[in-house]
Amino acid sequence: MRQLIARRLLQTIPLLLFVSIACFALIKLAPGDPVLSFVTPNMHPEDIERIRHNLGLDKPAYIQYLLWLKELFQGNLGYSLINHQPVMDQILDRLPATAGLMGCAIALAVLIAIPLGLTAGANRNRWQDKIINLISYIGISVPLFYLAILLIYLFAIELHWLPIMGMRTIGVESPWDVIKHGILPCSVLAFGFLSVYVRYIRSSTIGQLNEDYVQIQYAFGATRRQVLFRHVMKHVLLPVITLLGMSMADLVTGAIVTETVFSWPGIGSLGMTAVKGMDYPVIMGITLFSALFLILGNLLADILYGFADPRIKSTR
Amino acid sequence: MRKSIPALLTLIILAVVISACSGNNNGNTAGNNSEASPSNTAAADQAKDGGNLILGVQADPVILNPIYAGDRVSLTIDQALYAPLFQVNNGKKTFYLADSLEPSADNLTYTLKLKSGLTWHDGQPLTADDVVFTFDSILDEKQNSFFRENLIIGGKPIQAVKVDDTTVEFKLPQVNPAFEATLVQLTPIPKHIFEGEANIEKSTKNNTPVGSGAFKFKEYKTGEYVTLERFDNYFAGKPHLDSITYRVAKDANAANLALQNGEINVKYLDPQDVSTIESTGNFDIQAYSEGRLAYLLFNEDSDTGALKKKEVRQAISYALNREELIQTVYGSSDYADPAKSFVTPDGLFHHNDVTSYDNDVDKAKELLASAGESNLKLRFIVSSGNKAQEAAALYIQQKLKAVGITVELQSMDASAYGQKFTDLKSKDYELSYAGYIMGYDPDAYRILYTTGANSNYARYSNPEVDKLFDQGAGEADATKRGEAYQQLQKIIADDAVIYPVGYTKTIVAIDKRYGGLEEAVLKPVVIFEDPSKLYMK
Repeated sequence: MRQLIARRLLQTIPLLLFVSIACFALIKLAPGDPVLSFVTPNMHPEDIERIRHNLGLDKPAYIQYLLWLKELFQGNLGYSLINHQPVMDQILDRLPATAGLMGCAIALAVLIAIPLGLTAGANRNRWQDKIINLISYIGISVPLFYLAILLIYLFAIELHWLPIMGMRTIGVESPWDVIKHGILPCSVLAFGFLSVYVRYIRSSTIGQLNEDYVQIQYAFGATRRQVLFRHVMKHVLLPVITLLGMSMADLVTGAIVTETVFSWPGIGSLGMTAVKGMDYPVIMGITLFSALFLILGNLLADILYGFADPRIKSTR
Repeated sequence: MRKSIPALLTLIILAVVISACSGNNNGNTAGNNSEASPSNTAAADQAKDGGNLILGVQADPVILNPIYAGDRVSLTIDQALYAPLFQVNNGKKTFYLADSLEPSADNLTYTLKLKSGLTWHDGQPLTADDVVFTFDSILDEKQNSFFRENLIIGGKPIQAVKVDDTTVEFKLPQVNPAFEATLVQLTPIPKHIFEGEANIEKSTKNNTPVGSGAFKFKEYKTGEYVTLERFDNYFAGKPHLDSITYRVAKDANAANLALQNGEINVKYLDPQDVSTIESTGNFDIQAYSEGRLAYLLFNEDSDTGALKKKEVRQAISYALNREELIQTVYGSSDYADPAKSFVTPDGLFHHNDVTSYDNDVDKAKELLASAGESNLKLRFIVSSGNKAQEAAALYIQQKLKAVGITVELQSMDASAYGQKFTDLKSKDYELSYAGYIMGYDPDAYRILYTTGANSNYARYSNPEVDKLFDQGAGEADATKRGEAYQQLQKIIADDAVIYPVGYTKTIVAIDKRYGGLEEAVLKPVVIFEDPSKLYMK
């Protein structure tokens, strides 16, 4: 086991390197110029050139990449081209907002998706299944920003229960206030996640119900409910672990669209601003972070798999 | 069939939800009205103290330091945080930190007198030393201020010299009437804070700025808001409001909802949103000139050379109808004044009485025939998602068809568009719909219209125009200067270098519970010139 983890961790390094090269190349191939984002028409050409030079943007792209890499090996993600703040600080500054929001959304989604998926799978093609399917279709097909605006209309404008945007009421520092601001974005994101999770859990449930052990349990006189929640659920949770592993990256990248609509001060909206301004150190920083967490998430899922299902461990 | 049932149900449910929302919206509007009216009638006319204002901004400020701020949000916040030396409106100066500014007889020295007893937000005195320090920091190449070249005339820097605590002399290497316009943009930063900083731009001191304006820094939550609070020792008298908060609202639709809900009190509006916001009856909708010209660009140096001949450019101009175009693009003539000159109305020596190319299809055809052009094909680049550009392009395409010119629209993403537009070597298009804000001194327009200049997107070249710009820049006599610029406006209109469309307006919605808009002076980019005058009714 320890060997496995060490090997996987070592594999991360070339993988991250590859991700960073691909990301950098894409940014440089895309049209646009970071300097343009702060050029005003009445700026002198000499000033523009001087700024370009000071930012190192007049060097060839591969040199820019190597310089960036050199900084990275010294544990430095560089400075934003736009506001000159350290990229690491900016990401860490926004991490709690994003991790909190995404963590809640994913947890909520899993908690709701498991019973829904089990019910749908156990009642395949019956009315329960159809309703749950419908909900999940809506979640998959309706764009989340649209759903967000609908919810804002309903809960903020009509009912005045919840605030429209931001993470805090201005000047207020209380956890309850943050929670109140988080309810809408969290629900929107959870709905998006759960619609996908339900599909997985449903099909997994259908598969499990055909297994021999289910028939045996019935033969021993177990009720449907007992079979479903005591035995089938354990097996169904396996794919959920994979899903959660893949969602680890979401914890640090956030949700660009939802964060933007709700003006949630997370990494998603930081990334959005960076992309608009071609601010490559910030884009690279966020990409690396998310790649790292995706890899770690998958590793974690694999390790958990071993614990959850000894059959997998023994075949390794 | 079975599969389509859930889809159908989805549609029905959505339709019900949407109609319910829009229906309820009207009811809610009425509710808000009745809530707001008692407070409105109770409001006295004189300014009261207290209250907070929340202003919606689209992004985080880039840097709260006026010698680096170039983005709209930073400039807006800096306007409240740092007092300027003086401001100019319709050619008249309003003095803030400065008491007077006098040029010498030879126009080579300007003497700036500061008000006495000025202080920074931390209580330290604000003196001539701060002004000189700011000036020198901008000139220092290592400090990376993009304002530097403005302080250099003919290759030599302007010098700032302290005479006494409240007097600074600026020594110019040569006569430069545009210098006053430069000083307007020079906002002092505190010497005692930044002295000795190797790189002011990266300094962490910018995160807790110490300014001199009506409001002092209180709190900045990244991605959320910046709050400023009243500065009691403000030289022009204690501000009325307790605080101003600049709230980051990235999504325009959500921000408009927040405006209606009272989570935001002041916000820019797009023309298409005006009627919705206005119908609530809770907002003052102000449309004011932002000193911007929207125009149709003619790229004279495209690979086909189609627009090289001025007759062709004139023909295109005659084929269009300015009023219709404004109506189409801005929804109403309220949001843009018809433009004929390349200088905006707030600019010195603005002169709109030049060749205007009023719609005349026959004349357009005649001009094309005389130029020997037929079956012209032009490429029009459009930044996709930019509503103004898209609307203008479609209108122009249809109008030019009537005179036998085929326009091919090339839509591209915003950054690709920006790159193509600003690259003076790109030859694969002829037309584009663009705009600029150049400030009030007409010398600024030199970079747009002189031969080989860095922003000469029309690739226009006329030795006479180059000469007149040089004349205007070095002429201290206002009458002679004015003549040069009037002549310029005439030549550029006659040559149809661009087709000026409209002097566009900024539209701002301000919650009716706030007053003092007139005294605060609505201003392009920064919204309020002097936010200390705003009050809650």
